[in-house]
Amino acid sequence: MDSTVVTYFSQSNEFHSIVMWLSKIFGDHAGGVLTFTIFAVVALVIVGVMATVGGLGTYAERKISADMQMRQGPNRVGPYGILQFLADGVKMILKEDIVPSNADKFTFILAPILCLMGVFATLAVVPFSSGFMLSDLNVGVFYLVGMASLVGVGIFLGGYASNSKWSMLGGMRGASQIISYEIPVTLTILTIVLIAGGLSFGTIIHGQSGMPHKWFLFHNPFAFISFFIYFISSLAETNRAPFDLPEAESELVSGYHTEYSGMRFGFFALAEYIEVFVVCGVAAALFLGGYNFPFGHSIELAMVQKIGMNSMVAQNISQLLELTAFFTKTLALYYVVIWVRWTLPRLRVDQLMTLCWKYLTPIALFNLVGCAVWMYAFDGKPIYSLIFETAVTAAHH
Amino acid sequence: MFSDTLFLLSSALTLGGAFAVLYSKNLMHSCLYLLGSLFGVAGLYACIGADFLAATQLVVYAGGVVILMLFAIMLTGGASNKINKFGLKKIPGMGNFSTYMIAGVSAFVASLVVLKIIADVLKSQGPTNLVANEPTVFKLGVLLVTDHILAFEISSVLLLGALIGAAIISRPRREIHD
Amino acid sequence: MSTFNLDVYMPVVILIVLALLFAGGAMLAGKFIRPSHPSVLKETAYECGEEPVGSAWANFNVRFYVVALIFIIFDVESALMFPVASVFKHFNAIGMGGTVLVSVLSFIMVLVAGLIYCWKKGDLDWVKSFHRDN
Repeated sequence: MDSTVVTYFSQSNEFHSIVMWLSKIFGDHAGGVLTFTIFAVVALVIVGVMATVGGLGTYAERKISADMQMRQGPNRVGPYGILQFLADGVKMILKEDIVPSNADKFTFILAPILCLMGVFATLAVVPFSSGFMLSDLNVGVFYLVGMASLVGVGIFLGGYASNSKWSMLGGMRGASQIISYEIPVTLTILTIVLIAGGLSFGTIIHGQSGMPHKWFLFHNPFAFISFFIYFISSLAETNRAPFDLPEAESELVSGYHTEYSGMRFGFFALAEYIEVFVVCGVAAALFLGGYNFPFGHSIELAMVQKIGMNSMVAQNISQLLELTAFFTKTLALYYVVIWVRWTLPRLRVDQLMTLCWKYLTPIALFNLVGCAVWMYAFDGKPIYSLIFETAVTAAHH
Repeated sequence: MFSDTLFLLSSALTLGGAFAVLYSKNLMHSCLYLLGSLFGVAGLYACIGADFLAATQLVVYAGGVVILMLFAIMLTGGASNKINKFGLKKIPGMGNFSTYMIAGVSAFVASLVVLKIIADVLKSQGPTNLVANEPTVFKLGVLLVTDHILAFEISSVLLLGALIGAAIISRPRREIHD
Repeated sequence: MSTFNLDVYMPVVILIVLALLFAGGAMLAGKFIRPSHPSVLKETAYECGEEPVGSAWANFNVRFYVVALIFIIFDVESALMFPVASVFKHFNAIGMGGTVLVSVLSFIMVLVAGLIYCWKKGDLDWVKSFHRDN
């Protein structure tokens, strides 16, 4: 039912031989121990990759913004300055850790960790590929929404604990912005759930295919609008410009992390960049076919049947292709997120709330209703098959 | 094996959080402990295979209600007001000997009733075998649109009432600005 | 009695523990190499060079609270909608899509009525006007 990364590994023969070997040592618990080991190793790898992606995100942000403003950007550390994020990391560890004397120390320490926990926990269901999804929970998307809301609590507490006016304003703004924009996000996810008929990422992605015309983005006009609603709202949920009011540099100094220094600030930044990646990955999974690549399994079949490749090797190759497809789609969206930041000016608080409650939420509700009606009226057929059918009937006449 | 770990972790988090909520003197910290406790409850739901309920617990309570409480605390100016308006530094313990006696007796009776209810469950515990997690979402959905469709529709009216109530309560009073 | 195979939740616990370890490890590793020269001035809140006046924990506006209230109502609504939305495709396939559609529509419409009410009465406005009734 719930497939995990362990399910993928258990298809190989080596898995069973390792289980046999382990059962000599651990007895009945061998399977459990191996499951734990695989989960722990894969989780470590994913967290490592995500931390690197987060770090490279800061580099990409600076480099792309530099390109847009005809500057050089970081170019000293490593080739093209690509190691800048490592230098930044070292710098953050070396910085003095300052806790303001008036701060609520317990909350001050806990807030960045809460942010980090929320973001890391969402990684459990991010569909990197059909095999390397840590755990394909039945309630996948819904779980992700729940865990991501921890970040809002973390940001609020960070602002509160600092006991500084800038931080407090940033924290209040951040929390209210995150919860407000969660409504359009949830409603758009609901639209996709309606089309896919399931909450797990596996179900949602299998409902699509590698070719763009089978993506849920082009399933019907309402899903098409939903994508933009989702994208705009998730920009706001991750506090990205033009919705970066919680950390608005020009008015709130640095918002909720004004008082944070060194590594504690690093946790907030890392959490933000990983969250942007997760949000883009979810957008890719919901609307852009996720890890599906063009021709999908027919390539794998061709490799086994025509070339006579070992089926396990062919499967691994297709996993790699899936990973490539997922990262390509996600990083393309990541680029758009950065692009938007350096293009649009920041919104005002009242404009922010108006956009959420008077535009995005009603449109998302309308999309949900429209999508339900479409599914009923056209028997759940996507728009391309309707066009195809019409063309076929027209050709017959 | 992992189920035991998950259960122990969640129940420790639930109980520990709940006790910490009671014993913490800082309102903000209490709220944080409550978050931990609610997370523990979500873990307990996951333990009994109610995956959708666990996720709902996360979305509604951990994400929504805790933020609501934090905002409510901020309405009163945070935890900085340690002195109340009567100038008292702390609130005296509520209750006296007789109230404690009544509370103790009623807790005892209630626990006996609960024990009686779960006795059958404890007796019937046989050998355990692991089954795959059944998705509860599908069953819930089917029940919501067939057997319990009235409850589903009425809940929307309930939510409507809550929405309008929230809006009316929070309206600025006009006579203040005369 | 059967117990469920809960291994699918193992990554969640592992990832949360990893987050704690990562945070704790980074702070601990930094402890040995970072300087620590605390001073009274350094530990005051930053207010653009001015001495901070009073605490930041002031009474905040009620509108934040209202946003949170409305959010919870929509959150509960979506929590109720998720199971129904996930079975819609199945019911549509067996020819009962109409029933589900009607129930979903009436559910949403009741809430849309609430949203329209709040909109018309101005509860969704961030900047509230304080016009007197005349």
